[in-house]
Amino acid sequence: MSDDLAPVRRGRTALVSASIVGVVMVAFIALLATRDHGDRETASALLGGPAPAIVGETLDGGDFDLDDLRGRWVVVNFFGTWCPPCIVEHPHLVAFHEAHAETGDVEVVSVAFEDTAEDVAAFFDEYGGEWPVLGEGVNSIAIGWGVTGLPESFLVAPNGVVVFKFVGGVTYDDLDSVLSAARGLPEEGLDDEDLLGELPEEVS
Amino acid sequence: MSSRRGLLVLSWGLLGVVVAVVLAVGTLGGAEPTPAERVRSLSGQVACPTCAGQSVLYSDAGISVQIRTEIAQRVEDGQSDDQILTALAQAYGREALLTPSASGAASLAWAIPGFAAVVAIAGLAFAFWRWRPTTTEVSDEERSRVEEALREREVDGGA
Amino acid sequence: MNAIVGSAGVILGFAAAGFGAISLVVGLIWQRPALLRQSITYAGLVFAGSLASFVAMERALITRDFSIEYVAQVGSSLTPPLYNFASLWGALEGSILLWALVLAGYILLVAIKFRHRLTDPLVAWAMVTMFLVALFFFGLMVGPANPFTTWSPPVGYDGPGPDPLLQNHPLMVAHPPMLYLGYVGFTVPFAFAIAALITGRVGEGWLVETRRWTLFAWGFLTAGIILGAWWAYEVLGWGGYWGWDPVENSSLLPWLTGTAFLHSVMVQERRGMLRVWNLSLLCATFALTILGTFLTRSGVIESVHAFTTSSIGPALLGFFAVIVIASVGLIGWRGDRLRSPGSIDSPLSREGAFLANNVLFGGFAFVILLGTVFPLVVEAWNGDQLRVGEPFFERMSVPIGLALLTLMAIAPALPWRKTNVETLATRLQWPAWFGGACLLIALALGQRGLGTLAGYGLAGFAAGAAIRQVVLATRRQGWRGFVGRTNGGMIVHLGVILIAFGIIASNAGVESREFRLEIGESGVIEGHTITLVDVYQEDLPRKVRTVAAIQVDGGEIHEPAMNLFRASGRAVPTPSVRTTWTNDIALSIFPVESIDDPIGIRAVYQPLIAWLWAGGALMAIGTVLSAFPGRRRKPTDPTSAPLPERAPEGASS
Repeated sequence: MSDDLAPVRRGRTALVSASIVGVVMVAFIALLATRDHGDRETASALLGGPAPAIVGETLDGGDFDLDDLRGRWVVVNFFGTWCPPCIVEHPHLVAFHEAHAETGDVEVVSVAFEDTAEDVAAFFDEYGGEWPVLGEGVNSIAIGWGVTGLPESFLVAPNGVVVFKFVGGVTYDDLDSVLSAARGLPEEGLDDEDLLGELPEEVS
Repeated sequence: MSSRRGLLVLSWGLLGVVVAVVLAVGTLGGAEPTPAERVRSLSGQVACPTCAGQSVLYSDAGISVQIRTEIAQRVEDGQSDDQILTALAQAYGREALLTPSASGAASLAWAIPGFAAVVAIAGLAFAFWRWRPTTTEVSDEERSRVEEALREREVDGGA
Repeated sequence: MNAIVGSAGVILGFAAAGFGAISLVVGLIWQRPALLRQSITYAGLVFAGSLASFVAMERALITRDFSIEYVAQVGSSLTPPLYNFASLWGALEGSILLWALVLAGYILLVAIKFRHRLTDPLVAWAMVTMFLVALFFFGLMVGPANPFTTWSPPVGYDGPGPDPLLQNHPLMVAHPPMLYLGYVGFTVPFAFAIAALITGRVGEGWLVETRRWTLFAWGFLTAGIILGAWWAYEVLGWGGYWGWDPVENSSLLPWLTGTAFLHSVMVQERRGMLRVWNLSLLCATFALTILGTFLTRSGVIESVHAFTTSSIGPALLGFFAVIVIASVGLIGWRGDRLRSPGSIDSPLSREGAFLANNVLFGGFAFVILLGTVFPLVVEAWNGDQLRVGEPFFERMSVPIGLALLTLMAIAPALPWRKTNVETLATRLQWPAWFGGACLLIALALGQRGLGTLAGYGLAGFAAGAAIRQVVLATRRQGWRGFVGRTNGGMIVHLGVILIAFGIIASNAGVESREFRLEIGESGVIEGHTITLVDVYQEDLPRKVRTVAAIQVDGGEIHEPAMNLFRASGRAVPTPSVRTTWTNDIALSIFPVESIDDPIGIRAVYQPLIAWLWAGGALMAIGTVLSAFPGRRRKPTDPTSAPLPERAPEGASS
């Protein structure tokens, strides 16, 4: 079969190029073969960093600034009165807040998303909750926290570092176990993403 | 012949002037992009966090609508494009931006095409340099052989 | 019944492909011509098998045979007949079934076309390659993507029907089959390329014979891509026709390498050069179709084109690996001995331009592939997650697109071998002025920006060059001036230029407005008035359809709608587009709670959108014209004229 080939060998360009392409392609295929298939969840970009500012007027007319709460743990809760899972999680937040009301070591703050002050006030009248609530015109706070859907909550350490993000509704047990695990972390470890990665997976 | 050549030079010269003037007029002193244009362009650079790869410009997911509003608000407040994108990247992570950053591993997305362009141009130049025309001596015998073949072909073609 | 016939068809196709490949290899090694002649029979059996399974599936869909899982998944008693027919390729298993049918059809056509040369080792090896490809796809249906698995549906079961977006526009019926005809069509030239490498016969003969197959595959792929863009434009309501989504990119990749091949193959036919390069392009094109299929269906890259993630990902990746390793191995083994001695005399020549064209198309494909898989590479490298989207691809494609337009303007006027600047300047004089005129008009119409203006000017220049070629050719050859590769190619160029105008103008002039109107109120976008005339709701089975009657410029009434599906709660818009030759206004409405509220309306104004579709049509026409034999040139004719006296004057075919 090879008789009709040209008798002279002209260099090895094709061989060399083919080898290079071959090696690159094998690496590429290996790469594709080892990738996860399917959805991937990404950790919040905020974890381990300083909490974005939350400044505004609360429902009852007071001024609120997250920075004033330094020295206490803060649960920042993003919710909407129109979102069913938010209604489900609300009693858990209330219970959690009450459990820590005496020691005062943990504060809760709720920030509404795409809502009106009236609806938010009615929501808290109906479902309870005695903590600062920012009700209207505060969408950009949620955007600043990287909120993608409701509800979402964050745990902020006493030094103002975001240590945990809850996606979806929280339960009392989730909050409790994450809080106690986070308390066990050394103060200087709070901005270490690897350490934060060891916090309990949330139970959904 | 020379007058034709002169005309040709004139024609191309004139065209060159026209093109240069048009491009200068059309490029220099161009208006700043309007706020609406900036919002559109910025929205095109931010990924919708809950969708599969679309930008917030092309998504009606609730969060996309909010991010568009936020961008419009920040543009109105006089923030620069960079400030707005940095703020969104801080909140949603670097993966919220559809443009790879110019530093770190991501910058390779920009560097590799640039490198490839250099290699391609160099390769093309090398190929042409290596293929400089070689003048082959054609002997009379070869010439007549070709002519004979061509004659035969014409006879064939007539058939 | 349907399941039995269908499964039998799949198994028949699988077995025939397998036995066909084996018997051909045996016949080739032990040189048994009788065995080689049987390949046409096997090809017929493969086709019969795939046709039987296709018909069985369509029958199941039409009769709503929900005992087949696939029908239960995509079928519904409420789907209109047209979309019901098309739902065969609406999901994974069915799309493989269509793929197999198209592939079997191509194999049978090749066998018929080459029926007198089945014993030729080149043809036989090509048949072996195609049977192996068929074996793989039938294997998918026997194994992980079996379309005919059955179950026992509950009494009175009715399926959900295809995804709402897929039954919203008739283009959905035409787009996937076109794409598949293109994708699968590249199997034929690939098979011949492999056969040429195995037999070591890379003479131009086989190329001439498969050129038309490549051309048709390319034409179908072009049509498929443009229909897809049209569908996205009409259905999604954003005024967007191309989103640089990984799936869109993966259909563009083989198109780019295929286009590069269609150009560089002329250098081989004419000058005998670039043989190995052309073989590599064919292999790359086919490999990229498989890679694209893998990326679409494995879920490895996130994409809006959600094909359900399935288990065929590893199989497709393995197949891709086999193709790549076989191609690269064969080229490395044979390549250096197949290389031709010729050389290009001058960069200022037709072949020099084709080479530059190949570098640009190859670079374009490389950049798009890079952007598409880059997030995966970085994630594997350091775990960072990032995205590469539209801004990146646009920034990359603008310079490459402008360079391609420049080449398109100059290359048609270049003769083979070499030329001098003066000849070129004479030939390009009027095309260049045509480009200059386009530039002036664009400026006068208020277009601004260096890239935009340069785009208009260069597109005009390229149009001038193509028109010059067509005029010269028709003057010389009469009606034959429109047919043949060179002349038809110029028509394709004109189509591409129309599309370029459309892309440049729509990107530069897009304007999007959102209105909230009550009946009788109007809004203005870019000088066009849209008036809300009426709003009404229709209660249809499964969905509530809210329709807004909107009058544009006091003329025709458009009725964009919003469909709210009761079961899923999904809101799917049906936009309506006012199209004219100069601009489009795409109207869509937002979901409403009550039709008494003001209606949210989005209007997207874009100039010259219609030119995209007209350009696509012109490209299709040009492709068909190119396939007609042009001025006859016998294979024995000299492919280049070494004697200066006979150097061709002007552009010849």
